[in-house]
Amino acid sequence: MSGNPTRRDVLATAARATVVAGLGGAAVFLAQKAQGQLVWQVDTARCINSRLGEVGGEVCTRCTTECVVSLSAVRAVNEHSKCGRCAICPAYFNIKSAVDEHGLPSEKLCPRDAIERKSIGYVDPEDPNNNYFEYIIDEEKCDGCGRCVMGCKEPLGLGSIVLRVRYNLCTDCNRCAISNACPADALGQIPVEDALKPAVVERHA
Amino acid sequence: MQYRLARVIGGKGSAPDKFAAALRGVAVDALGQVYAAGDSELKIFAATGELRRRWPTSKPALAVAVAGDGSVYAGQPGQIEIFDGAGRLINTWRNAELLGQVTAIGFVRDGVLAADAAGRAIRRFDRGGRLLNNIGTDNRMQGFRIPNGVVDFAVDNEGIVHAANPGRHRVERYTPEGKLLGHFGRFDGIDPAGFSGCCNPTNVAVAGRDTVAVTEKAGPRAKLYQTGGKLVAVIAADVFDPNCKNMDIAAGADGRVYVADTVKLAVHVFEPVKEGA
Amino acid sequence: MSVFPQGCSRPRSLLLAAALFLGLLPAGSAFAQAIHYERPVEAAPQPENIGEGYVTPEVQRPRPRDYWLQLLDVALLAAALALAVWIVVGKRSRRGLVALSIGCLAYFGFYREGCVCPVGSIQNVAVAFTDPGYSIPIVVTAVFFLPLLVAVFFGRAFCGGVCALGAIQELVVLKPVEVPRRLDQALGLLKYVYLGLAVWFAVQPAIGRDFLICRFDPFVGLFRGSGFAHMIITGGAFLVSGMFIGRPYCRYLCPYGVLLSWASRLARWGVTVTPAKELECGLCTASCPYAAIEQRRAVRKKCLYCARCYASCPHEGERARAKRDLVAISPPG
Repeated sequence: MSGNPTRRDVLATAARATVVAGLGGAAVFLAQKAQGQLVWQVDTARCINSRLGEVGGEVCTRCTTECVVSLSAVRAVNEHSKCGRCAICPAYFNIKSAVDEHGLPSEKLCPRDAIERKSIGYVDPEDPNNNYFEYIIDEEKCDGCGRCVMGCKEPLGLGSIVLRVRYNLCTDCNRCAISNACPADALGQIPVEDALKPAVVERHA
Repeated sequence: MQYRLARVIGGKGSAPDKFAAALRGVAVDALGQVYAAGDSELKIFAATGELRRRWPTSKPALAVAVAGDGSVYAGQPGQIEIFDGAGRLINTWRNAELLGQVTAIGFVRDGVLAADAAGRAIRRFDRGGRLLNNIGTDNRMQGFRIPNGVVDFAVDNEGIVHAANPGRHRVERYTPEGKLLGHFGRFDGIDPAGFSGCCNPTNVAVAGRDTVAVTEKAGPRAKLYQTGGKLVAVIAADVFDPNCKNMDIAAGADGRVYVADTVKLAVHVFEPVKEGA
Repeated sequence: MSVFPQGCSRPRSLLLAAALFLGLLPAGSAFAQAIHYERPVEAAPQPENIGEGYVTPEVQRPRPRDYWLQLLDVALLAAALALAVWIVVGKRSRRGLVALSIGCLAYFGFYREGCVCPVGSIQNVAVAFTDPGYSIPIVVTAVFFLPLLVAVFFGRAFCGGVCALGAIQELVVLKPVEVPRRLDQALGLLKYVYLGLAVWFAVQPAIGRDFLICRFDPFVGLFRGSGFAHMIITGGAFLVSGMFIGRPYCRYLCPYGVLLSWASRLARWGVTVTPAKELECGLCTASCPYAAIEQRRAVRKKCLYCARCYASCPHEGERARAKRDLVAISPPG
């Protein structure tokens, strides 16, 4: 390309400059709107399994069935400091099952047996059921089906178990597949700091 | 024995005889007048359901009780306010330590009992408001087990205190001095004679000699038991809002049972159906 | 109410309107009512009640991928684009390009599991432009614009060197057949339709919003090693047909390819089949699986930067040999 630029070259250069300016302007516009790092998280006040005011409904398992990650990147999380540590936990036991010889429900609620029940504090050998219990959810087993979340919510329990997106598992999809299917539009993108806060179901004022 | 819904008093709303946001306590006096503690107010209804009087409390009213002399005790956070029958404030007992959250009040011959949910205990005071002793704390849990957040009790004619211990699924009997006399109740999610869920019964009322009425949450229901543990009647199970929790209960001398629906904000009045009628 | 500061202003106002509307209806409507549960006391027992030195266990809250790692992704993308241009335009090396695209397939495809990619980011950008309550992180903005910027000057370097979806198809091209011109043109229209649909569904109000490109991404299931049956099946179908029809997704469906082909029309320094000594042999045209060489000239908007034309050119081979010999004989002085 030697010699004087032809009319065609000049036009092409001008067109390129225009397009680059346009792209740059668009990028600047978007950058000004940007809010830092956003991640997907469950809004517990919307999630059917944890939102208050509805008892006895069917459990919603879409977090399990829709997530692109095997088992699901959404898992149930027990916020221990909010847990009532009940002897008969409606999230651990199927409280509608027959009572066994120890006076406890004979069936567990979790279909994957992902919750571990352990007595804590002093244990009275004479009365082992009269104790505080710790319920730890095994994240390797939990598939986020939400049954325990529904079992724990008020008025049945204290609502200490909620569904949370686990960021060691989430692939941070462009459009979360669960959010596409969520009937309550409970998955949204929020700033990281908010997404990592301890989550308990918001009380309506 | 069967009960039927005789009347619904109150309800949600802004009218004087309705409750705006909360209905937490119910009591009944010898005349059958219904005392209700809700919002930051006490309301007194005639047995027929008309509002007779109402007056404000200085803090949210958590519990209400009527003494033999007609004075009205209102349990609140950190204090008890004592009114005369017309609503004039006679006295205020303030004690952040002993009266953290007063969720029930009762009377024994020589004193006043107040349930403190913050301390998970029942406190016995003399008529002047001096602490005599605690009830329910002499155990390994150092108090009642209340994942539901409320301590409720009732006193029978002999002065025996019947207290709900929901975390243990039972109703316990104490002397006013704090000695545990006995208890009844067990967990069962199927048999109506048992108490369901994590923590039931939540509230208790004395409904006659050796008989107590209790309420449960999730699903909400009211039942009548002999203190020996025999289920006498399921008073009601389907009329309450399923989201109800900690429904206060009271029983009148005529056998009527009053239950405060904490979502509909209405007192449900049940009366026994006469046998053979 | 700190949850959902963005992206949800619309449904919330809708809900509000719905609540207002329902509030006008007689009481007892089916709308779930908000329940105010009071807790006179914090009912959960704390370590001091539990005793025996009990310590409340930590609640696991794994942090998302660090921000600097996301910036690293952008830097890698930029570096890969530059490398692709250098390898293809500068070095005219098919071998180098294959190595680069395998590297990018491994990193952006299998390691990063195909997210976030410029193809899908079309939708985020579309939403960010239309929904005042929605914004995209700067990382996504950069991922969207970088390949376009490169295309304006150098053509579709992204397609050949960097795109994981392209690379996986590039690797299975076995025995490409020439698609009849008419059919090729007709199928080529599909990508415009797909782009239109993708943008249309993305700019819907949040409650009805859908990201078609991601939902029907044929290869992301392969990258992740798991996925819905429809994803795996279409991915497999694309790969099998891709043995005979060069890069079918790129040529007939890729919505980002539409944008790149527009941008690359202006490219000045793209792939150019004009060696100093043209041989008129037509080997380059025959070597192009994508029908991107017409009358022995590379068509910028179609050229996918695979460098097969250079690899097939006898003259190029000669040039490369001469250069190598030159270097060997006379060290730079």
